[in-house]
Amino acid sequence: MRKVLVTLFVSLLVIFSFAAYIGEDATGKKGGTLTVGTLSGPRTLNDTVSKETSSSDVITMFMGYGGTLIEMDENGNFYPALAEKWDGPRLTKDGGMEIIWYLRKGVKWSDGKPFTADDVVFTLNDVYVNPDIVSSFKDILRSTNDYLPKATKINDYTVRMYYPEPFRLALRYLGGMYIFPKHVAESWVKNKKFAEFWTVDSINKKEIVALGPFIPVEYVPDQYVRFTANPNYWKKDKSGTQLPYLKEFIFKIISSQDAMKLAFENGEIDIYSPRGTEFAYFKENEKKFNITVLSYGPAYGTEFITFNWNNKDEAKRDWFRNVHFRKAVAYAMDKKKIIDTLYNGLAIEQWSPVSMASPYYNEKVTVKYPYDLNKAKAELKLGGFTWDKNGKLLDSKGRPVKFMIETNAGNKVREGMANIIASALKQLGMDITMIPGDFNTMVNRMLNVGDWDAIIIGLTGGDEPQGGNNVWALDGSLHFWNLSPELADWVDPKIYTIPDFEKQIDKIFKENVRILDDKVVKDYWAQFQKLASENIPLVYTVNSLRLYAWRNTLKNVRIGLLQGTLWNADWLYKE
Amino acid sequence: MVKYIARRLLIMIPELWIITVIVFTLIQLSPGTFLDQYRLDPSISTETLKAMEKELGLDKPAVVQYFYWLGKLVRLDFGYSFYYRRPVVDLIAERLLGTFVLSLYSFVISWIIGVVLGIVSALKKYTATDKILTVVAFSGLALPVFFLALILLYVAARTGWFPIGGMYSPETSRMDVWSAFKDILWRLQLPGFALTFGSFAGLMRYQRGSLLDVMNEDYVEFARAKGMPERVVIYRHALRNAINPLITMFGGSLAGLLSGAVITETIFSWPGLGRLTYQALLQKDYYVVMASTVISTVLLVVGNLVGDILLAAVDPRIRYE
Repeated sequence: MRKVLVTLFVSLLVIFSFAAYIGEDATGKKGGTLTVGTLSGPRTLNDTVSKETSSSDVITMFMGYGGTLIEMDENGNFYPALAEKWDGPRLTKDGGMEIIWYLRKGVKWSDGKPFTADDVVFTLNDVYVNPDIVSSFKDILRSTNDYLPKATKINDYTVRMYYPEPFRLALRYLGGMYIFPKHVAESWVKNKKFAEFWTVDSINKKEIVALGPFIPVEYVPDQYVRFTANPNYWKKDKSGTQLPYLKEFIFKIISSQDAMKLAFENGEIDIYSPRGTEFAYFKENEKKFNITVLSYGPAYGTEFITFNWNNKDEAKRDWFRNVHFRKAVAYAMDKKKIIDTLYNGLAIEQWSPVSMASPYYNEKVTVKYPYDLNKAKAELKLGGFTWDKNGKLLDSKGRPVKFMIETNAGNKVREGMANIIASALKQLGMDITMIPGDFNTMVNRMLNVGDWDAIIIGLTGGDEPQGGNNVWALDGSLHFWNLSPELADWVDPKIYTIPDFEKQIDKIFKENVRILDDKVVKDYWAQFQKLASENIPLVYTVNSLRLYAWRNTLKNVRIGLLQGTLWNADWLYKE
Repeated sequence: MVKYIARRLLIMIPELWIITVIVFTLIQLSPGTFLDQYRLDPSISTETLKAMEKELGLDKPAVVQYFYWLGKLVRLDFGYSFYYRRPVVDLIAERLLGTFVLSLYSFVISWIIGVVLGIVSALKKYTATDKILTVVAFSGLALPVFFLALILLYVAARTGWFPIGGMYSPETSRMDVWSAFKDILWRLQLPGFALTFGSFAGLMRYQRGSLLDVMNEDYVEFARAKGMPERVVIYRHALRNAINPLITMFGGSLAGLLSGAVITETIFSWPGLGRLTYQALLQKDYYVVMASTVISTVLLVVGNLVGDILLAAVDPRIRYE
């Protein structure tokens, strides 16, 4: 048995050390069209303008995959792509940090022009860090002290990227940067019209020039986007066949979720993300529809209830800032009930602010608050709360505990959570009013007006905890519960206080990115998870699972911890 | 007559202006701005939001924004979409055909069916035919269009007779013109039916009612007394008088031709103006909303004018001098 294991381990090692890029050891057949449904079409093909998945999904097809310097596989490992290898990130003598990229030779853009260091330098210096071009990628690239990176060309196939201070995430973000063709994009930058570069009509004008596996060639508004295989894509599979295997890729725009489901059943689309309520139905009919259906790991997004520490009402401020009060709320949250009734069992409890799929997730240090109303009552007692003879909860100054919980109307899951939480809090003697409201109004009041008590809302997330900087940093614009008076003028500087744990968390977010040793970084994030779960400014609810369904004619599908059905679209094929 | 039309067109200008002011004010008063949808995204910083605000001109006072837009409109420029970074005119033009095909199809069919069945129903009043038609008409009026559309979609999926929505399939562009035409006509049936079923019923009830009214008039009785054939009595005397209210409705419904049908378009994934406007409204893409309002308003005013002119042409008693 041991021998078998050893052989297996060695052979695995061989495979890993031999795969010089993702897809090198792929096998498959050329040809076929993959059709994927999407609820709405692209708004733009310009990555600096794009801010929603319907656009970025399309952009990824021609700028992502082998179109970036490095690629990440389904388990979070980095592989060389356009950069054959790289040195760094490493510290420089002047206290800065550099990465040297050695580019793959002989790669061509889809229009036949050679890809060189000039394109990479142009993309970083003239597009992403250009002060005249607005893009959210610029925010991501900023290091602790707001420095932006700079690229210099060493020779045609070597580029040096430099930060004046260490920045841990540079490899990930710079390596994953989408690269623009200098010979096409340069004039748009010079004319200061880059925001109008590659609008959706550029597809039909055949203006898209790219390095990714599929090039968009036809766009019918609100109907579909058609891509054909990039004839100059640089990747080859095990037998030397040029990738991608698929001849065509189609995003079919199906504007209603019900129609999408029926289209999948009828074979008009090949991949579908079932809703929680549909999962069982598809699972039962796997054979009938000839599909594979599975659920995998928790999704990145988070849902939580948060309280306004700077409420205009002094009593409410006192409760919400009281850690025992928040712990009582955490103990009163029946997560099992939420999972069973609202997610059809397809979710798991969330305790940590770091996603469970992240390598930095640390269950050991995270404090959990399983549903227990007695413990909730004990916490309230510790916090100085008492009950009157009718069972109404009073605070230490005898004021009855009464507040509103809001969430956005129309989101059935959040409304359901609000109901479950509110009814438990009522059992604790609190007087709760549940108010569903318009999403935009709610966000505006949350950030700009401040007349709210408690809100149930969600945020997108990722495997890298630093992505939550805007939420956890003291001056973060999404630091809802305790917004800095410098950001929100409704917060009275006289009542604004920063507890110690908040200062420590802020420091963790500021400092971890300056550290290049992953082990130390892990310690930092462990400390963050400990502090956040002990003090719970955000009381997390549950994490839904990721649900997938695809036709069995689609081969090479590999779902992993971090990626879904399309992460290896350049070597998927159809039978 | 020419003078009358000229006067009506002249009145249109202040009319339109007032409507744009109202719509613009309403959009400004409604909570939130275009940038709100990005405020909850952890990856977008406050500086980026500020920069976007400036880039899109949203940092200027509403009045300035309005006159800037109006100035462009006078030069027939509908402005830029924040979301697509493209001229609004292009966005609308791309979807005009889809909207027009669907609306015209259901418009023509519902008018033909509505008027014909209305006449049949009136002539055979209180018979079994009339009652069956009445039941059909009322179910058409009562059935919400989204429900009907979903049922149709479900039937399409179960039988496989129709595709699940869409006007063009990825194959359409590779077909020859004739097959493409047949394919689109095929795809038009379900959304067309969903729209028609709701609208023909009202027309039918109107036609029936007004014809029945006229049939009781003295001059119809007189025509019969003169010994005229029943056919002539109905089609020359009764129907010509009964058609007036329908012509007024006809003018009014012309506006609907380009305003789109959000629900039907969304469920059947039809590429129309309704979806574009609705999305723009949700995302506060002001100029798209404004352009589509202006178009609808112009059509409504023009439609009413056409109705009035038709009325004068049909009914010699009506004079606009």
